[in-house]
Amino acid sequence: MTKTSMYPDSENFDSLRRLLGLKRHEQPPPGYFHHFSRNVIVRIQAGERGVDSTSLERLLWEAPWLQRFWTALEAKPVLAGALGVAACAMLLAGIIYSLPDNAPAPYSSASPQAMLLSAQRSIQGSIFSPDAPVDFTNGLSGDSTGSLFGQPVKQIKYILPGN
Amino acid sequence: MIMAEPVTRKARKPPEDQTSALPPEPTPEEDLVRHARRGDLTAYDELVRRYQERIYATIYHMTSNHEDANDLAQEAFIKAFHALKSFKGGSSFYTWVYRIAVNKTINFLKQRKNKAQLSLDDLDFHAEHDPDLVALVSDKTPRRDVSLAELQEKLNIAMQKLSEPHRLVVTLHDVQGLSHEEIAKIMECNIGTVRSRLFYARQQLQAYLSDYLK
Repeated sequence: MTKTSMYPDSENFDSLRRLLGLKRHEQPPPGYFHHFSRNVIVRIQAGERGVDSTSLERLLWEAPWLQRFWTALEAKPVLAGALGVAACAMLLAGIIYSLPDNAPAPYSSASPQAMLLSAQRSIQGSIFSPDAPVDFTNGLSGDSTGSLFGQPVKQIKYILPGN
Repeated sequence: MIMAEPVTRKARKPPEDQTSALPPEPTPEEDLVRHARRGDLTAYDELVRRYQERIYATIYHMTSNHEDANDLAQEAFIKAFHALKSFKGGSSFYTWVYRIAVNKTINFLKQRKNKAQLSLDDLDFHAEHDPDLVALVSDKTPRRDVSLAELQEKLNIAMQKLSEPHRLVVTLHDVQGLSHEEIAKIMECNIGTVRSRLFYARQQLQAYLSDYLK
């Protein structure tokens, strides 16, 4: 019984295979391979001397999934665009959702009343605390002469009594 | 970069009594790879010399363009050198570098897609004396006026009409003579896939080239 194959290797394709043999006769210019390996080595050496521009390539090669992902992006610009749009949308959504619902409008807090209220709140805990008295000084020690014009600086001290 | 003890291109010296008759033994591939991994460019140069013709030919038959093949073949070897540290030795260096070259070429072709330009290598002297080709361009051929150069161009145009995986299988098997098993390793697929792609690709080529086939 003759053995038949689903994908016959030679049946019906003999002429085609002979024709394809023509490609084996296609040869690069004479002497082309004499300098080929030298060119490769020179380019490797040039790459090592210069900036390590192949780091990304190496990373891509060592992480195959990243390589496949990068290849897909290169091959399909639409995919790269869609990814970019998705990233922008996510960023925008993140910004919007990170804002608190009851947050005042940015400019309203700059009103004089709001600023006053904010300042009062910030110093309330220190001035009106029932504990130790608060010491307001001008930040200089008594013997300092650190003024702009070499004049001796007088220390001013205010002490508020606690409640 | 760490420089290892360089591998000289002249391989090990055979014993005295055999020096006149035998050619020097080539350095084993594993030794060259080990030295190249440590940064020995002389060893890597030797590896490039061993495979440059096959790698160039594969890329050339895929692109039908000498300049592209030249660039891609060089880049494939450069990339392989930088990736040598990730070469685990699970396959031969030859299969591994082939895979790099093939992936690089397929990526390039995907980008080039609509601007394929032929830049064909010349046919060598032996083409005119190849009995198979003589038979093809004989009086029995349907197109009697066809020349080898014209046939070469038509063949390359037809090859470029195939998808990259189909063109690759035809190139590796029918042009370069690799076995199905070797192709499966290079393409990282099973042998059944190689066979079915080869069958389909031949069918396609046969249809494109029907005027030139008996």
